[in-house]
Amino acid sequence: MNPIKNPIAPCADDLRSTKLAQDPELAGDVVLRCEGLGKRYGDFDALSDCSINVGAGDIFGLLGPNGAGKTTLIRLLLGYLHPTHGRATVLGIDAEDDSVAVRRQVAYLPGDARLPRHMRGDGVLKFFAEMHPYGDLQRSREVAEQLELDLKTRVAFMSTGMRQKLALAVVLGPQTPLLILDEPTANLDPTVRTAVLQLVLDARDNGRTVILSSHVLSEIEDTCNRVAFLRRGRLAHEMWMSDLFQRHRMTALTREASIEIPDSLKGSVHVRTRASTHAHHQIQIDTAGDLGPILKWIDSLALKQIRFEPYGLRTVYEAVHAGEPVATALITDAPVAENFSQANSGARS
Amino acid sequence: MIDRILLKKYIGQSILLFASCGLALFAFAWVRVWVVSLLDMGQFQTILEQFREFEKFAPIEFDSLFTYPGRVGMTYDEPIVILCIVIWCISRGSDVVSGELGRGTLEMVLAQPISRARLLLSHATVSVVGLALLCMLVWAGIGAGVQTTSVKETVPPPTIRIPIIEFDFPLTMGEPEMQTLQLSDRVDVRIFAASTFHLFAFGFFLLGLSTLLSSIDRYRWRTIGVTVAIYIFQLVMLGLGKAAESLQFLLSMTFFSCYKPQKMTSMVTKDTLYTPWTLTHTVGDTMLPPLVYPLILIGFGLAFYAAAIVCFKRRDLPAPL
Repeated sequence: MNPIKNPIAPCADDLRSTKLAQDPELAGDVVLRCEGLGKRYGDFDALSDCSINVGAGDIFGLLGPNGAGKTTLIRLLLGYLHPTHGRATVLGIDAEDDSVAVRRQVAYLPGDARLPRHMRGDGVLKFFAEMHPYGDLQRSREVAEQLELDLKTRVAFMSTGMRQKLALAVVLGPQTPLLILDEPTANLDPTVRTAVLQLVLDARDNGRTVILSSHVLSEIEDTCNRVAFLRRGRLAHEMWMSDLFQRHRMTALTREASIEIPDSLKGSVHVRTRASTHAHHQIQIDTAGDLGPILKWIDSLALKQIRFEPYGLRTVYEAVHAGEPVATALITDAPVAENFSQANSGARS
Repeated sequence: MIDRILLKKYIGQSILLFASCGLALFAFAWVRVWVVSLLDMGQFQTILEQFREFEKFAPIEFDSLFTYPGRVGMTYDEPIVILCIVIWCISRGSDVVSGELGRGTLEMVLAQPISRARLLLSHATVSVVGLALLCMLVWAGIGAGVQTTSVKETVPPPTIRIPIIEFDFPLTMGEPEMQTLQLSDRVDVRIFAASTFHLFAFGFFLLGLSTLLSSIDRYRWRTIGVTVAIYIFQLVMLGLGKAAESLQFLLSMTFFSCYKPQKMTSMVTKDTLYTPWTLTHTVGDTMLPPLVYPLILIGFGLAFYAAAIVCFKRRDLPAPL
């Protein structure tokens, strides 16, 4: 029996539409919950103390360099690996105690999906559609057609890209509540990449929750509503993508050694000053929220060579990768930020 | 416990190997019986007598081989039969975990809601049924050979016994009369049932061993290497145990000592069809009741399978390389 028959159907759109509900804890509809999850190999921590909650209807991005622990986290969720500490539940089912029940609720595309070489494409789709209780051969065939894949070819004679398409058709067939994709667009041409990302969005629109691990930041930006950054086996940062839309970075030169931030902007501006060679100081101002009041203040500073850029995912990624703090606490204008900060502090406690 | 879809997949994966081994075993067993008819019993006896001093290395005493059932029964110790069974068992057993891990396909299969024990048992079902069918094909090949082969035998001339000196005097002085008869008149195929069961038990042991090694490994080549190394080591122990009296203790440490197909044929020839199936009485010079030997092999095979399930369930599965 499925513990939750359709956990996402009730109000996925509503969940996304209200910021309060963006916190899965508050929304009360958590699809995935990790509590201090970790995996140790001898002296090496592949994943340590990872606490994440993924809410229903999320497209949750997992980011991090190679060896950061993304795949380890996914493999722990699906029971390939046994955790050294902590626990994970998927739709309320403990991943360690009953990984079969977890996999009943999940469709998973591995980072390097390899399929039985002796089968033809259609045989592979049929095999996996029969294996999974949510399996839908017709739907898998439709996905394959959408990706322009010839199903008569034997897997052994398929190119890497064709195999990836076939694996995607396998995984996108079953209408499971949770979809986990590890590098889904690897080895695919740009057109097919776009089609795959559209399929991911379609899955979300059909009420499914998606966990997407990728190195391609633009893909994450285009599809995900939440992102977690892993670094050296630890959850380094977690954020809502909506936060990025209100964030900017400004660089400029100033004669002042230090700049005082008005009280009204203290929560939404973060300033860093660095001495430069020509009696000028280089200033970097990270902003969050509405730019209107911030621009008035900046105008009063008599800055030179001002340059504004959107605070993109790359900036956050690089900051996380370099081990620098990412000022999510800057964002004070939305309950999301508060909730998210709570979630973060909870995760690290 | 067993998954129908996985069964289909494993059958598809192994059908070519099964067909090749099956054809080889059936054809070889048939031809082997036909070869028996080509070599006159007298000639065979003469050849074998030259190797009397090596009799201790033979599975049974030479005298038991001077019969058609004995000569046909040697098929179960032929290297080709053993080789085909070993190839099937090691290739199938090594495939289940380390093979799939090496190919990277285990990741996708285990992404489906299927337990590891179920996967292993489904694989085992195909392998064990395949093994049983291969053993039956050897038996069937022998059966076909026995039914289609005829042998020529010398009809002893009529004699008259001279009293006092006790001498049989032939009544005719011409060439001895030859008669042709069907091998089936001399060999009842049912006597090889126990030998076939021994062959199955032998294969089951190897299947279990290679499955266990596969369940703890991630490279198939290494699994095959270790299994073959153990096989050869056990074979050397058997040879040494038979060669030197001081090393006879090695015989009790090798699984080859439990593989006695020719002994079973000999038992049936001397006694009844049911003699090899007793669990309570020892027969002839055997230390244990005849059925205990294959059951030891099957018992070990089952233990290996149980250990394989436990190891497979407990281990972490690495990502494909």
